[in-house]
Amino acid sequence: MFNKKLGIVDLSRKKISIQQTPDSLKRLFLGGRGLNSYYLYKMIKPDVDPLSPANVLIFGTGLLTGTLIPNSSRFNVSAKSPETGILGDANCGGYFAAELRYAGFDRLIILGKAKTPSYLYVSNGNIEIKNGKEYWGMDTTEVQQSLRRDLGQVEAAVCGIAGENLVRFACVRTGVKNAAGRCGLGAVMGSKNLKAVVARGTQGIKVAHPEKMLETVEQLKEYIMSSKISSILGSVGTPLLYEVSNTLGAIRTKNSQLNAWSDSLNANVVETFVEKMISCSSCIIHCRHRNKLGGEGPEYTALGLLGANLGIEDTAHVIKLNNICNELGLDISSSSTILAWMIELYEKGIINRKVTEEELRFGDFELIKNLLYKISRREGFGDILAESTRNARRFGKKSEEYLIAVKGLPQSDPHDCRYIKAFALGIATASRGADHLRSRPTLEIFMHIPKEVKEKIYGKGVNNDPTSYEAKEKSVYFSDNIFAVIDSLGVCKFICHGFNSPHFIDYKWMKKLIHCTLGWRFKEKDLQDVGKRIIDVERMFNNREGISRKQDTLPKRYFDDPMPLKIAKGHHIDRKEFDTLLSRYYKLRGWDNNGQVRKVRIKELEKALA
Amino acid sequence: MKYLYVYPEKCTGCRECSIACSLNKFGECNPKKAAISILRDEFNRYEFPLVCFQCEDPVCLKFCHQNAYKIENGVVIRDENRCIGCRLCAVLCPYNAVTTINDEIIKCDLCNGDPKCVKYCSTGALQYLDETEELEKRRKEMTECFLKIAKK
Repeated sequence: MFNKKLGIVDLSRKKISIQQTPDSLKRLFLGGRGLNSYYLYKMIKPDVDPLSPANVLIFGTGLLTGTLIPNSSRFNVSAKSPETGILGDANCGGYFAAELRYAGFDRLIILGKAKTPSYLYVSNGNIEIKNGKEYWGMDTTEVQQSLRRDLGQVEAAVCGIAGENLVRFACVRTGVKNAAGRCGLGAVMGSKNLKAVVARGTQGIKVAHPEKMLETVEQLKEYIMSSKISSILGSVGTPLLYEVSNTLGAIRTKNSQLNAWSDSLNANVVETFVEKMISCSSCIIHCRHRNKLGGEGPEYTALGLLGANLGIEDTAHVIKLNNICNELGLDISSSSTILAWMIELYEKGIINRKVTEEELRFGDFELIKNLLYKISRREGFGDILAESTRNARRFGKKSEEYLIAVKGLPQSDPHDCRYIKAFALGIATASRGADHLRSRPTLEIFMHIPKEVKEKIYGKGVNNDPTSYEAKEKSVYFSDNIFAVIDSLGVCKFICHGFNSPHFIDYKWMKKLIHCTLGWRFKEKDLQDVGKRIIDVERMFNNREGISRKQDTLPKRYFDDPMPLKIAKGHHIDRKEFDTLLSRYYKLRGWDNNGQVRKVRIKELEKALA
Repeated sequence: MKYLYVYPEKCTGCRECSIACSLNKFGECNPKKAAISILRDEFNRYEFPLVCFQCEDPVCLKFCHQNAYKIENGVVIRDENRCIGCRLCAVLCPYNAVTTINDEIIKCDLCNGDPKCVKYCSTGALQYLDETEELEKRRKEMTECFLKIAKK
């Protein structure tokens, strides 16, 4: 019934093999992130250099991607991360994933390294490795437009100049601003001499119960559109979060030396720069801003990180920096975090002009802009910045104390996690490092959680204080699991239960959506188990690369420096409390006290996968 | 008489309309196999729903040598039994409103008065409304607007 294939491309040997993914495997991991993580665990030997031909790069669409199901636009790009040396994975929207499926494929696994710049052309059941020389050196928009000029109405996932130059936080991009942003997967493309994966197809996705799908989606759409948050996201998008965090005093400011910033970045100001709100494929939320400065965005992350964290107040400047990162193919979260870190190190005298070539200071738009260009080309000081968190080794122990990162991954969320304790546990344990999109337990800050939802997740009689440590392992555990499932279905987190709302797509809805699409009967518990299984396999990958309890920690500043401003003033993470919270989390996961997946579980999973 | 009216300024490009159309007509999710398509280019910054305008004097009908087209209650209908699949209608339609893909010719029939595209549009970019003078003016404007975009 489900007619999409798996393409395995060996760039070194120029060999292409087309296979069918067994249904039994899909039932265990669904697709998208889940199946990608399974293949990474299976195919990558420990200690492989992420920028060597031995790394495996996967483009995997979700189980429901490209269908009528709302917001089913998504795919995951996965490989061992050159930024962190552990599991690398990033989820992305746009139109590429749906097109890849219409071209006949669920997933592409890319091995080896092409001798010369190349791209993959995928169309109606075929994959070709093509000469990409003339596209090498192009910015992300230019290459996509050139591909369309040459090949017609294609969709492409590309790397920018940053990826070509192996910047360790280069992203994969599709469209104007959709990015598989995190973990430096654009650099993995660059290391394989792969400029783009291009898809074009006319093959539809046959579904098991078309009428049921029409009916179920009609109900789901009505349910989602009836929520206030949907219309707010559709009119102002994520910038609405800036004011919320800023009022609390939880906006990372100047490398987290401060925790609040200017109102000039509030959503009502951003709105004046918006020309139109647009969508990804199948999306009913339409949270993408087409801005008047020639690009798309900014998201909350760009506002917080390219604004507050770099000390920039001018909204137009923030949007310009956002557009530049997108053109160069740089991950905004890492770019900002690394730059802010370097500026503070310079201010503190830990690094000097000999390294930086010029004075570094917060709030200097021209400086930041030039540094972004230098990073993407690895010119001068840019070559050092391009090494991301690895600079902690270059600049010594003291420098590491000011780095806002976990497991070598700079923190993505502009939210300062010292106040909301579950956010802190979330970024400490996320499988790709300091990232909020693995588990962001927004449940902690919803004003009205239905009692039954609350009791189901936290148990009875638990206080909902976001600053307490009580039962926070439960909200992280719940969120981490369900977001792993939605990532594997290829549906956007924005309409997942617990992300933007305590309603929306929960396991019950997922069950219905899978049934109308594939005819498969899942129980709610089966889906919960998929989430747990994905998190375990990702942890097994990381355990194998040397990750254990020691690395499930936070930036030193979050423990030792109380927040200086506003409601959050005085808050920090208590080491002892955090430590016992972490133990409780491991217990809930069934991991041992050192954060290792237990041997019994490894055996059980490996047996199921054999 | 009710017709489809398009409001491109509200169209976000998501293609739920096309996917619903293909699912309803063919049981598959395929925005390219639908009677409605979205002309979109995020780099050149436009989204435009391409629909059949149900012309009063339709080219598809006029030039069909099999007389496969007829107008029924204001809706231009293709009779599959008469059609021999020559695709002349698709080639001649100035609004690209007749879709051809693989062996199919797809022409909007307004789903017998319950157009699926409108039902699954979440922004009001597609509306199914009783014709008025003002709306007719809009329909004409949209045809001109399309011809402009198509030249790009």
